Formats: sequence, C-alpha cells, structure tokens
Amino acid sequence: MADINYLLLVILIMTAATYTTRLAPFVFFASHKETPMLTFIAKSTPPMVMTILLIYMLRGVNYLSFEIVYTFIALLVTIGFHLYRRNALLSIIAVTIVYMIAVQL
Amino acid sequence: MIRSAFNVTLPILFGFLPLGIAFGLLFQELGYPWYFSTLMGIFVYAGAAQFMAIGLIGAGVGLLEIAISTFFLNSRHLFYGLAFLKSFGRWSFRKFYLIFGLTDETYALMTTIKVPENFNRERYYLFITLFSQIYWVLGCTIGAIIGDALSFDTEGMEFAATALFVVLLIEQWIKVRKPLPFFIAFCSSCIALVLFSQHMLLVAIILSITAILILRLIKAVTDG
Repeated sequence: MADINYLLLVILIMTAATYTTRLAPFVFFASHKETPMLTFIAKSTPPMVMTILLIYMLRGVNYLSFEIVYTFIALLVTIGFHLYRRNALLSIIAVTIVYMIAVQL
Repeated sequence: MIRSAFNVTLPILFGFLPLGIAFGLLFQELGYPWYFSTLMGIFVYAGAAQFMAIGLIGAGVGLLEIAISTFFLNSRHLFYGLAFLKSFGRWSFRKFYLIFGLTDETYALMTTIKVPENFNRERYYLFITLFSQIYWVLGCTIGAIIGDALSFDTEGMEFAATALFVVLLIEQWIKVRKPLPFFIAFCSSCIALVLFSQHMLLVAIILSITAILILRLIKAVTDG
C-alpha cells in the first residue's frame, strides 16, 4: 500500500498553493481604490486571456499529420455555427460530436 | 436561475468530465484508493496541477518541490482575480468559494457571459462555480472507480474545451470590437510558445499585460 500520509500532505499542500494563486489578487487589492490603471487591466485581460487559452489548447496539434486538417475544419465549423446561431451550447455540442466521430474513425 | 446556470455551464461539463475521467484513470495506477482522486478534485481542483501531481507523487517527490511546482503552474490565476475584484461582492463564505473555484474555464465563462438582469450576480456565479466543480469531481471519481471498465470511447471529447474557448473568444470580440488586445495576445502567445513552451500560459499573460500597458502609456504621453 502506498503511503497515505504522504498523499494527504501532498493534497493539503497543493490545495494551499493553488488557493494562494487564486486568492492573492483579492487580498492584495482589497484595500486599494479602483484606479484607472487597475480597471484598464481588468477590462483588457479577458480578451487576451481567451486568445492565449485557445492557442494553448491548440499547441499540441500535430501539424504534420491529418489532425491539423480536421482540427482546422472543426474550428471553422465552430466559428460558422456560432456566428449563424449565436447559441454557445449548440455550437459546442455539434462540433464536439463531429470531431469525436472524425478522430475515432 | 439554477437552470440557466446549468445551461451555460454545460460546455464546461463536456470539457471537465472526460478530462476528470482521464485524471482518475491515471491516478488509479498510483495504487491509492479511488476516493483520494475524489478528494483531489474537491480540494485541489486544478486540472493541470493534478495531472502534474501524478508524476510527482509516483516519483515520491518532496513536499516543498510539489508546493513550488503547483504554485508556478497555477500562477496565471494571479491575474484572473483582477476581473472580479468588484463583482464577487463582499467578503463572505461565498466569495471565498468563488475565488477557490476560479479556474480557466469558469474565468473564461464568467468574464464573457452577461448575467441576466433579474438575477443576483454573485448567486449566479456561485451556481456556475458549483456546477463546474461538480463536473470535475464526478469525472475524477468515475475515472478512478470504473475508468477501466468504461467502454464509451471519450477520445476527441476534449475538443469541447477548445470549442468553448472559440465561442467565448467570438463573444469577447463582439464585446470589445478592438483588434489590439487580440493581436497583442496572439504575438505574446507565439513568443511564449517558442521561447518558454513549458510555461507558455504564464509567460504569454505577463507579456500581453506588459505590452498593452506600455502601449497605453505611450498613447497617454503622445496624446497629452
């Protein structure tokens, strides 16, 4: 049997480390007044983070294989479908099912 | 409100469930009882860090090293809270939980969606956060218990997370209507990918924020 105490300590420490990263901005800026600079950062980070997260998700795509073709098609379908219907859930479910069929064939 | 929160988090369900199952499957190979996978989903609640931990636990790595790696892997979250300094409301148990549950996916969702006007924002966020974590914990648990017996092939389901970010990116574009932040983030991501692929997320976020602040300063100086 693996060492339970070690695992419990790992869980405890990882919980604390993760929570620290999430809590830090709230503690650090709790007493600060809302400066124009802070508002600017708060407003401009979401579009930037979204772009970065998407590129991060796509970084593992093997561009030498067929994977890049159907990933590219899936992306286009997602964009097209979403612009056409503006229904996030519908776009995501539809394209994910199509993608799953494509990779599993 | 609960129904609406459930509906907007469904894309997260499709992303978290297969990823959680994948985690549970790998975790099981460490030889611990299944409920420790559930515990990790409940308490640690960080996808990438949990996957990293499997390797570290397997190798019996020291606690300090695990603490430091977890902190750095998750340090992009340092910037996520900035968007919610006001909208998480006053300090309360709820606010502590909203902060605890601030993952990539909930951050992306909550900064993009419009809270319906007749809804209490913090309560709505609470349901979104709670549902998302339930999906993750369910995934971790299912994977650790019956992962091996699962005949349903989830390969490709992870594309739901990518599709979610595509959809949210389009919504951000409709909201912002300025190419600059997207362009800056694209360039930063490319630089970060080439130079620091291990820490791509964090480096790209820091580069983007720095770049957009510098551009704003230059604009302020030249305008004034």
